[in-house]
Formats: sequence, structure tokens, C-alpha cells
Amino acid sequence: MSTTLEIRDLTAGYGRIDILHRISLTIGNFGNVGLFGPNGHGKTTLLRTISGLINPREGSIRFNDIEIAGLSPRAIVEHGLIHVSQGNRLFPDLTIGECLTLGAYPKRARADEEANRDAVIKIFPKLAERWRQKVRTLSGGERQMVSIGTALMSSPRMLILDEPTLGLAPKIKEELCASVLGISERGVPLVVVEQDVEFLLELSKHLYLINHGEVATEIQPGQSLDHSEIMSLYFGQ
Amino acid sequence: MDAAAQIIFGGLFQGSLYAVMAVGLALIWTTIGVFNFSHGVLMMLGAYVAWQLTALAIPFSVVVPLTMILMAGVGWLLQASVVRPLIGRPNIVLVVVITTLAAASLIENGTLEVWGPRSKQIPALVDGNAMLLGVGVSLHQITIIFITPFILLALWLFLNRTRTGLALRAVAQNEDSALLVGLNVKMLYGLAFAISAALAALAGIFLGGYRFMSPVMGADPLLKALIVVVFGGLSSINGPIFAAYLIGFFEAVCSYYFGLYWTPALLFAVLIITLMVRPEGIFSGKSRGLA
Repeated sequence: MSTTLEIRDLTAGYGRIDILHRISLTIGNFGNVGLFGPNGHGKTTLLRTISGLINPREGSIRFNDIEIAGLSPRAIVEHGLIHVSQGNRLFPDLTIGECLTLGAYPKRARADEEANRDAVIKIFPKLAERWRQKVRTLSGGERQMVSIGTALMSSPRMLILDEPTLGLAPKIKEELCASVLGISERGVPLVVVEQDVEFLLELSKHLYLINHGEVATEIQPGQSLDHSEIMSLYFGQ
Repeated sequence: MDAAAQIIFGGLFQGSLYAVMAVGLALIWTTIGVFNFSHGVLMMLGAYVAWQLTALAIPFSVVVPLTMILMAGVGWLLQASVVRPLIGRPNIVLVVVITTLAAASLIENGTLEVWGPRSKQIPALVDGNAMLLGVGVSLHQITIIFITPFILLALWLFLNRTRTGLALRAVAQNEDSALLVGLNVKMLYGLAFAISAALAALAGIFLGGYRFMSPVMGADPLLKALIVVVFGGLSSINGPIFAAYLIGFFEAVCSYYFGLYWTPALLFAVLIITLMVRPEGIFSGKSRGLA
């Protein structure tokens, strides 16, 4: 059975302001999903609502046919839906090793702690060299590796990445994209928000363009998409 | 020889007491990022609870752990009532100063109502006196000097070698990330206050065993603990531990050479100089910032 995340008519926001307006999308039927769209149109809000950091006002979120809308972030983590947030500062005063150990905090991940740690080191060998270094002393790319590694320690059934390459130098970005592809090949379905649509297309054939808190366009596998079409989706005709 | 022995003994004893007080304060600061001004009152209440249990003819070996457990519960309740509702507010540091001061005032006056103003004393941990290097000392104080390092070590091991301890250290650093790795933030906040209050109660038992108790007995140790945490820095609990012993020795030296009258002024001079020269504390890498 494939892992699915179904979002129906979801409305959420901050204070009195709604950011998402009855948004609906289905994730998992065609493997990885990429989300893209202009800044400030609700991608991050959508992810924060899915992982329980924001309480939805209306609508349903079903993860593997279990309703998770309104659950605490902790309960959602225990279901195996793991979210790596944007520009993650993580835990500045913990070492890399401690962060990864903390990733194994959810009960369902504890039994696999050793295996997961080995897997993370295989994906990000650089982390092993800096095991005792504090997160605050790491570069942006290394910190992103620790963030993703920590999420992998939680034995994710589905992994949500919010702009993993934000602010990284091109060379480091390339390395990280390769690692993310590697994670996907290990069978963890990914939901990735990215501004770099080229990278999204490498990762997934199923994309959503989010605009004004709604799905503006869904691109399913088989539908091709060229650069000029993306430009027109972003900027209008 | 006599002077040296007296200073060493005084420094170790005061240092032990301050260390037990200060790590409790530091624990709350590092997990929740707030300063608990009712810490001194929790210490006082611990001493009174121990006195009450002793008065009920419960053996003292039971009274000590029982007091710590009861006070851990008080700490948890205090957190649930005056700290937890405020979490997430932008001005939480300042607001919690006010709410914990208010709670301190209530508990202090409540203690006065319940137990009255007459000074009380609880039994010493170990009765009797001894001569050490030509100085007469009580076995109660010697016991405190010897068991404090074990208590501090136990706390250090808990924070650095257990999963829950790791979670406690992580939770204040980034609340979003803490939630996203599935930490039970509310439980951890409660736990920090419970451990802190139990340690304060222990300090109260230490103090109530050789000095007369009164409802205001917590004020002075709180002030000293404040000097210790400012001096040592609050980035981890190691800073306050070392700082507590340094301040203890400093106080012992000052009271020997300058007298008790000048000692508090000199301690505050240390506090002011620390804040001017190295506001993050002498054992701290970088300031956590009060924001």
C-alpha cells in the first residue's frame, strides 16, 4: 500500500487572517510530490498545518486514511509524518550526534535507532566527521543535512521538506539535491517545496502550483511542462 | 593554618549550598528561558514542609525524599499556574518575572499564616560536631559538602546521558523544532520546574538544619544564586556549578578578611563587574540572549 496524504477543503491561517482557502490536494498516488509557487502564497502555511504547528480552521487532512487534522505535532510525528521546516536553525547548542539521537525520540522510531543512524551517515558522510560539533557552528548546507538526518532518525513514512536548498551555494545545493534523490530512492515518499522547478521535476512527476492559498495548477505524470509554461504560471500570460 | 582551614571549609560549604540552589535556577532558564523568582520561596517552603513532616513523627530518612517529591509537585503546579499560560507571548521573560514574584509573595505570606512567625529548626542530617584541621565543624555541614557533588553529578548525568535529559536541553533552543521531533513540550516544562523545586527543597533542608527558619529565609539564598548564575553564565548547568564554588570561596575569604558586614557589598561588586566585563558569564561561550 502506498502512503497517501489527502487534504480536503483545508482553511488555515494566522490570527484572523486566512492564508489557505479551502485547498485540496492528494499526495502519494504518483510517488513524490513537488509544491512550487510564488513566495507568500501559503506553501509553508500548508506544511505547518499538515504537521500540526497550526490548527486548521476547517477541512480534513487524512494520512493513510487516518484523520490527523487538529492533532498535536507530537501525535502526527508518531504517525510517521515528519516535517523539516524552512530555514531550520534546529538546536544550536546540541551536537550533531545529539540532534540525531533526539530525532529518534518518537516511540515508533526507537527500535530502529541504530539502523537509522547508520543510514543517515551513509547518506551524509560529512556528518560523521563533525559528530561532536555544535549545530550553531555549522554552515547552512551542513545544518540542512543535520535537519534532514534528524528527520530520517524518526523513521518517516512520509517526509516533508520545506525549501531544503534555500540560501545554499550552487555547488552545495547540487550535493544536497543528490542526497534528497537518494533518500527518495530508499522508498521514503517525499513532499518537497522548492523554488527550483528543475530540481522538482527531477524528483517528481507530480507537481502542484500553489497560488493565493489555493491549488492553481496540478501537473500529473505524463503531462510535460517546459520552461516557458512555468514562467507563465508564475507571472501570468 | 587555622585561617586557611576555615576559609576552605566555609567556601566548600557555602559553595555546596549555592550550587544546589543555582542549578535549579539554571535548569529552568535553559529549558524554558525564564527566570524563576519564586525559587527562594520554594526553598523556604521545602524547609517548612520538612519541619511539618518531622513534627508528624515521620523518620528523618523518609522526610528528606518525601519533601523533595512533594515539592516537585508544588513546582509542577507553580509552572502550570503562572508560567505555562504565558508561553508563546513575546514578552514572556518580563511577565514571568512578575508572575513568579507574585507567587513568591503569596507563598511567603501563606507560610506565615499557616506556620506563624516563630523561628523553627529541622534536625541536622547528621548530629554532632568534629574538629577538622583545628576548626570545629558540624557533621551536618560536612555531610552537605560530601553529598552535594553526588547530587550535582546525578543531575549532570541525567541531562547529558539520558534521552529525557537531552530533550530537556533541546526544548528551549527551538520550540518549533522541538515540536517537530515529537517532544512533549508541556511535560518537559513541568519536569524542569519539578526537578528545580525538588533541588530548592533540598537546599531548604540543608539550610534549615543549621539555621533558624523563617518565612523570609529564601530571599538571601535566591540573591546569592542569582549572583552565581550571572557570574557563571547560563548556557549549561556546568557554569553555575563551578561559579557556585568560586563564589562560595570568595564569600569565605571576604568574611574572614573584611568581615560579614562588607561581604554582600563585595559580592555585588563581583556581579556588577561581571555584567560590565563579560555579561554572558565567565564559563559561558555565547550569550543565549534575553529575548
